[in-house]
Amino acid sequence: MSDLIIKLDNMSKVFFADDLETHALNKISLEVAKQEYIAISGPSGSGKSTLLSVLGLLDTATDGHYHLADHLVSNINKTERARIRNREIGFIFQSFNLISDLTVEENVELPLTYRTDLSKSQCKDKVSNALKKVNMLHRVSHYPSQLSGGQQQRVAIARAIAGDPKLILADEPTGNLDSKNAHDVLQLLDELHRDGATICMVTHDPRSAQRAQRNIEVLDGRIVLDQPTTLNNAAVSA
Amino acid sequence: MHIYSDIKYTLRGLAKKPGFSALAILVMASGIGLSVYLFSFMNVMLFKPMPFEGGERFIQVFTSQNGSRIQGMLNLHDYHEIKQNLTGVSTLSAYRNQTVTVSQQGGTRRVEATDSRANIFSFTQTQPIIGRTFSEAEDKVGAPRVVVIGYELWQNMFAGQANILNQSLRIDNEPHQIIGVMPEDYFFPYNADLWRPLRDNIEQVSREANAQVRGLLLRDEDTSITELNQQLKLIMQRLEARYPTANNGIGAYALTPNMISADGGMAVAYTMHIAAVLILILASVNVGNLLLSRAVERSHETAIRVALGAPKGRLISQLLWESIIICSLGGFIGLCMIGWGLEVTQVITNQFYTDRPPFWWQFGIDAYTLKLFFAFLLATILITGLLPALKSVNGDFNAVLRDGTRGALGKNAGRLNKLLVIGEIFLSITILLVAAVIIIASKKATEANYGANIDNVMVSRVQLPDNQYDTAERKVAFVNTLKASLASAPQFKQLIIASALPGMISHRPSIAVEGKEYIQQGKASYPRVNHIAVSAGSLKHLEIGLIAGRYFNLADDQPNTHTVIVTQSFVTQFMNTEQPIGKRVRVINDSTDTLQWATIVGVVEHTIQTRPNRIEASMPSIFQPYSQTPRDSMVIATRINGKITPTANTLRQAVQTIDPQLAIYHVELYNAALARYMAPLAFVSNILGLFGLASFVLAGCGIYGVMSNTIVQRLQEMGVKRALGANEHHIMREFMYSSTKQLLWGLIPGLGIGIALGFAMSTTLNVSLFELLSIACILTVGLAGVVLIATYIPTKRALDMEPSHALHYQ
Repeated sequence: MSDLIIKLDNMSKVFFADDLETHALNKISLEVAKQEYIAISGPSGSGKSTLLSVLGLLDTATDGHYHLADHLVSNINKTERARIRNREIGFIFQSFNLISDLTVEENVELPLTYRTDLSKSQCKDKVSNALKKVNMLHRVSHYPSQLSGGQQQRVAIARAIAGDPKLILADEPTGNLDSKNAHDVLQLLDELHRDGATICMVTHDPRSAQRAQRNIEVLDGRIVLDQPTTLNNAAVSA
Repeated sequence: MHIYSDIKYTLRGLAKKPGFSALAILVMASGIGLSVYLFSFMNVMLFKPMPFEGGERFIQVFTSQNGSRIQGMLNLHDYHEIKQNLTGVSTLSAYRNQTVTVSQQGGTRRVEATDSRANIFSFTQTQPIIGRTFSEAEDKVGAPRVVVIGYELWQNMFAGQANILNQSLRIDNEPHQIIGVMPEDYFFPYNADLWRPLRDNIEQVSREANAQVRGLLLRDEDTSITELNQQLKLIMQRLEARYPTANNGIGAYALTPNMISADGGMAVAYTMHIAAVLILILASVNVGNLLLSRAVERSHETAIRVALGAPKGRLISQLLWESIIICSLGGFIGLCMIGWGLEVTQVITNQFYTDRPPFWWQFGIDAYTLKLFFAFLLATILITGLLPALKSVNGDFNAVLRDGTRGALGKNAGRLNKLLVIGEIFLSITILLVAAVIIIASKKATEANYGANIDNVMVSRVQLPDNQYDTAERKVAFVNTLKASLASAPQFKQLIIASALPGMISHRPSIAVEGKEYIQQGKASYPRVNHIAVSAGSLKHLEIGLIAGRYFNLADDQPNTHTVIVTQSFVTQFMNTEQPIGKRVRVINDSTDTLQWATIVGVVEHTIQTRPNRIEASMPSIFQPYSQTPRDSMVIATRINGKITPTANTLRQAVQTIDPQLAIYHVELYNAALARYMAPLAFVSNILGLFGLASFVLAGCGIYGVMSNTIVQRLQEMGVKRALGANEHHIMREFMYSSTKQLLWGLIPGLGIGIALGFAMSTTLNVSLFELLSIACILTVGLAGVVLIATYIPTKRALDMEPSHALHYQ
């Protein structure tokens, strides 16, 4: 068993629309180690969100191979992809994507309800632990509309980690937040990383990217830069 | 200026989406068209006053039997009592309709005559175009025989001669002096071709002779029908107390003339009105949903307008214009459909009668239809436009602009969508149940077993004038001569002569069975049965199954022989387990309570002597030889192999040879005649069938539309759930569960109301509770299927989308 959690080989994604081919990803190869914290950056339309979708099994690649935790997942069926998303991956979105009709507790519990291996009490424990980690236990009965943006994103993070995923994928997690809340959310991600989570974060913000161990820059569907970040490394060495 | 630019903008938007626009317009056209058509149709049939001044105050007086409205005629003496005692009435007249034979140089023909009091013409205040109407002096026995003829008779028999007055017209072989001609299209009070003085009066006709008339009155403006009914009840109660035998159980009630065709069936009529309103609401809900989905689609654009400072009123008016244009265009198409539909209705309803329908049945776009059309149009504009407009402008525009998604607006619209689906299910199950009850009733009625073989039988009628055939011997002699004359004709090998064939209404006197005790005095305490006169061989030729005993034969025509054949239903109802053959039955005549016992010689299968959907369809019958109970009016029929015309000509020749003044009329195939009797129900059934189909299609499309819209609005949510690990089954199950909940919310009250309406109609239409519940079960399964398919297809389509696309769907 290798230390890699993600291994992409010549991964391509082509969109076809009105006889027009758009190469969102162009033969990307990438390896991410377990417990690594990487930032994916690049200008709009560069392909970073598509890369994250492919990594999160939300979309299928047109070509290439994808190994997730040593399993080839590029050719598996929809049901299996759903199972892996549920068990192995946690998602954090820019616009939080909480279900407005569900309470905080129900939102966090949602991915656990799709599992058959957890009892009701186990689900409750996991929800409580996740909400405790993001310091939102006091708002369990609130609805998303009753929370601030920062609070909503903390709930979204709790939802992402409730099922103990191997990989956390965050798509511009601070994009809709003010600097104070953005700072809090990034700190939460740091804590999760410290606790052993593997995190892939798409971001526009260079300062956010600097919190990762490694920065991958995407342009026109290709990785143009893949290097350790200075700030995080300095922090680590310090 | 704003209005102009708003209209231009709306038209541009509608032109951009021609499919959407065409669908919305068509849905609206069908909703307005169907509902206004049905209201207009029912108005002409049931509520529209006769086309004369004060026509809304014309009232008919009928008798009831033991509280049951049987539309019976009044004893002339009772009529006079009513005339003397009834208040709140300005004019009261009596008349009697009858079919007569008129003969002139132009030939012999059968026409409808009204024998009436002289004041019958004062109701309509119509003057003859030539001559005069009759006077009170001519309305007496012994007065010269005079007649006022109708325009059509004048044209057809007298070629419109100007010197028509004082010419002689033979009516039932009696010469009458023509004293006037009424205007074209004047048939008052029903479908009269000529009018004669009634001539019966209480000084000359005894109460026991039971001369029967119809009462007609003009009520005062401040007197209601309810008040008249209260007075009639008291008058008839007094008469019953005074004449306990003759008037036992006989009451009287008032009815507007156009209600006659629906008396007893008003539950069906009102239910049809409810169905018409429901279909309009269903169409409005559908169009409202289409407009709502457009409003949701354009929420971003609306949010930008709000951000740019557009006032709320302006936003609402912009959205309302869309509704105004769609409803107006749909309404216009609907109005054209109504006009066409009413024209077709006129043609179809004319076929309900062999002569002509009631003269006030004039279908077309009249003032009532137009008023209703504009009222419905306004209502649909408000229903379809205002709700989406208000929903649209009251959304969280900040959220929409900030997120670039449907945000809060989508959520609110989602709630409304659920209500729309529930509403559509509720409306469609209700309409479908109502439609299904009438369709089942019509199907049962058209496929009913009348108790006889009705195929390949030619039927015709003949009416013996009572002045010429005034004794039983003369009537019997006519029939015997006719039988002898037709004996050699091969087409009449299976000659049938009867006062009524199965499917036709017969005389229904009270009867008594030997050995039975009847608790009260008077006729009302005795059971009533169909009493049918038949010639020997008729029951056998009609293939009415013999269960016991024998059919009639020539021995039954011997003098002082009194025999009857009863139906199995008679035995079941009145004789328990007794052996019927040899028992005796007594028919209690209306005029005199003669004690003439007749011996049962045979038992036959039950025959239906009315429309099969009527409650009287189960009434037992007794058959008696024509020689023992001769009648004026009879049906002459025979089973034929080929065309009807040669057989009819042979019959005509035979009758004319016996009596040149007699006319054979209503010559047609037996099954065609029965189909004609059922034509009104079949027509209503077809209309309701169309309503049911329309509601099913509208509901199906509507529910599909709402579900598609809901799923589009929830695509992002689906994307989130799939990102969190929900697989296709989880999502599908969730949507199916949600649809099932909506289905139940709409279905349960819809079934409740639909079954209640169906139950209200079931008695009139002879549909059992079991049938009603079976229909409800079938419709429930059908509608559940529609809802689940309407959920499955758009959900499946959404699930085919990659989760990442769903997440970023806008």
